[in-house]
Amino acid sequence: MAISRLFIANRGEIAVRIIRAAHALGIETVLGSSAADAEGLAARMANRTIIVGPAEPARSYLDEKIMVQAALGAGCDALHPGYGFLSERPALARLCEENEIAFVGPRPETIEALGDKLSARRIAEASGVPLVPGTAALKSAEDACAAADGIGYPVVMKATAGGGGRGMFFASGPGDVMASFNKASEEARAAFGDGSLYIERFVENARHVEVQVFGDGKGRVLHFGERDCSVQRRYQKLIEEAPCTVMPEAVRTKLHAAAVKLTSDLNYRNAGTVEFLFDVDREEFYFIEVNARIQVEHPVSELISRRDLVAMQLQLAGGEPLELQQSDIVLHGHAIECRVNAEDPDQGFRPSPGRLTTWQPPEMDFMRLDTFCSEGTLIPPYYDSMIGKLIVYGNDRDEALQRMDAAIRRFSLRGVMTNMPLQHFIVRHPDFRNNRITTRWLEQTGLPAFANREE
Amino acid sequence: MKNVTADEIKNLIQIFDDSDWRELALQVEDFRIFLSRDPDSAGAPWQTPPAPAAVPGPVSPPPAPASRAPAKAADAPVAQASADATPVPDNCVVVKAPNLGIFYRSPKPGSPPYVELGAEVNEETEICLIEVMKLFTPVHAGIRGTIRHICVEDGDMVEHDQPLFYVEPAE
Repeated sequence: MAISRLFIANRGEIAVRIIRAAHALGIETVLGSSAADAEGLAARMANRTIIVGPAEPARSYLDEKIMVQAALGAGCDALHPGYGFLSERPALARLCEENEIAFVGPRPETIEALGDKLSARRIAEASGVPLVPGTAALKSAEDACAAADGIGYPVVMKATAGGGGRGMFFASGPGDVMASFNKASEEARAAFGDGSLYIERFVENARHVEVQVFGDGKGRVLHFGERDCSVQRRYQKLIEEAPCTVMPEAVRTKLHAAAVKLTSDLNYRNAGTVEFLFDVDREEFYFIEVNARIQVEHPVSELISRRDLVAMQLQLAGGEPLELQQSDIVLHGHAIECRVNAEDPDQGFRPSPGRLTTWQPPEMDFMRLDTFCSEGTLIPPYYDSMIGKLIVYGNDRDEALQRMDAAIRRFSLRGVMTNMPLQHFIVRHPDFRNNRITTRWLEQTGLPAFANREE
Repeated sequence: MKNVTADEIKNLIQIFDDSDWRELALQVEDFRIFLSRDPDSAGAPWQTPPAPAAVPGPVSPPPAPASRAPAKAADAPVAQASADATPVPDNCVVVKAPNLGIFYRSPKPGSPPYVELGAEVNEETEICLIEVMKLFTPVHAGIRGTIRHICVEDGDMVEHDQPLFYVEPAE
């Protein structure tokens, strides 16, 4: 039975995105909003807005009971959790199930199994998906040397009992292992009461590459190609693009197959993303985790596949069979997304809430802007600083880069500080243009260069 | 009649607006809507006429704004739920919902309400229950005074900060 009334348990641009997709399918929408977002674009677009709680997320967007109660009270037959907030909380999916509300996402047990890092690694291993090569606990420097030889230098030694860098060291050859093992082991024993260490391969040139998947919940999974999200600061993505042009075709085929195998083994339902580290030098990839939800950066995959992933989510949750075949998904061209964050890159990325006095996005072809903002919008201080996603499409990466450069240049935006100057700097930087970056590039090279830029 | 759409309701209100009718009452299966221009309306034909206020006070019975549908929220279309539109008399304070949930006037089904119009309450008096997913939390009056108006029907969903009661503070 198709969804007739959808509850949206989220805010900001993703709430707008979901409402738009729902209305296009003739589905009524009810927004569960905090008091702080009562006047926002999503609230104006939704057929009905319910104030579920105060601005404080713990009492509004993070309270699954309040959200499901509101959905029931409004007579909704489905709930979309968006991303962040409650999206990967098994309790929300379970509560929906118990109350006969279709949860637009994976089954609760899938979310649970993938949410736990160790359990997710076991699942990947069982599906034959490669993890970063590593060892079990090692007792001595000699054992460690022998194991490291097998894995290949450089390696990192880590304490089995804990994190935080205690007992951790980097080794580029056996000499480093012999020199540091005993000291690191002592440090680990002092910190955690257990001196055993294990080895993991150190990936010098790593890219963050992820595969967009969509499962019917019965074992059939489609993929929509991969995304490269290597421009990161503190594990927060700033720029995402599709496809990953530095990946050789043979590796790409294996990457897609790995993502599909892992998720189809789980009978994965609805949209998801399998994240990998891509070792550029060795041309190998290693599993990181599965994000059991729609992701921020889904539009770049939508542009290169010309498929509406959010509409597909709603159709599947409404009980429609997944009739699409893998051969129907033809990827073409290149898409880049820059996250527009209300934070000041010149002031340590300090959040900059406030009122947008000017918001004039460029009128451009091959551009898409996902946002809840317009001129006069008040950016509340309680939530994530992302206020929009600027996305462009080109026949190839160069054309997309050129369009992104032009789009940012013509984007007139005042009232709050944003990261657009940094984004503009990155898309024009030779390292980014030539695609010679890694996940550490922004912090090690990009940000220092930006700080020393000449206007 | 689960599939009344917002557009259908809008159309209905538009027709009513454009007409010279004083009131419109419509019932189709379990869907009911009542529209009135009359602030002194006796209410929908299926409603029992409002009892005279137990204590004569400055609060008049709530007028029925045109957009207010008496049906329960779950069956109502997704037109914006209207908050109770009774103006707060100057001498009353509003007790608001501490969180979203289902509003209950009685401690359990079938038992008498916590408070009736005209009831004397103090800070600690429990005046209703709010249910969130089978968790029932009592709401306290928070003030000493007299209940002058009850804004919500028993069993209705209330939103965060929605007015529940008007209380006239004691001297």
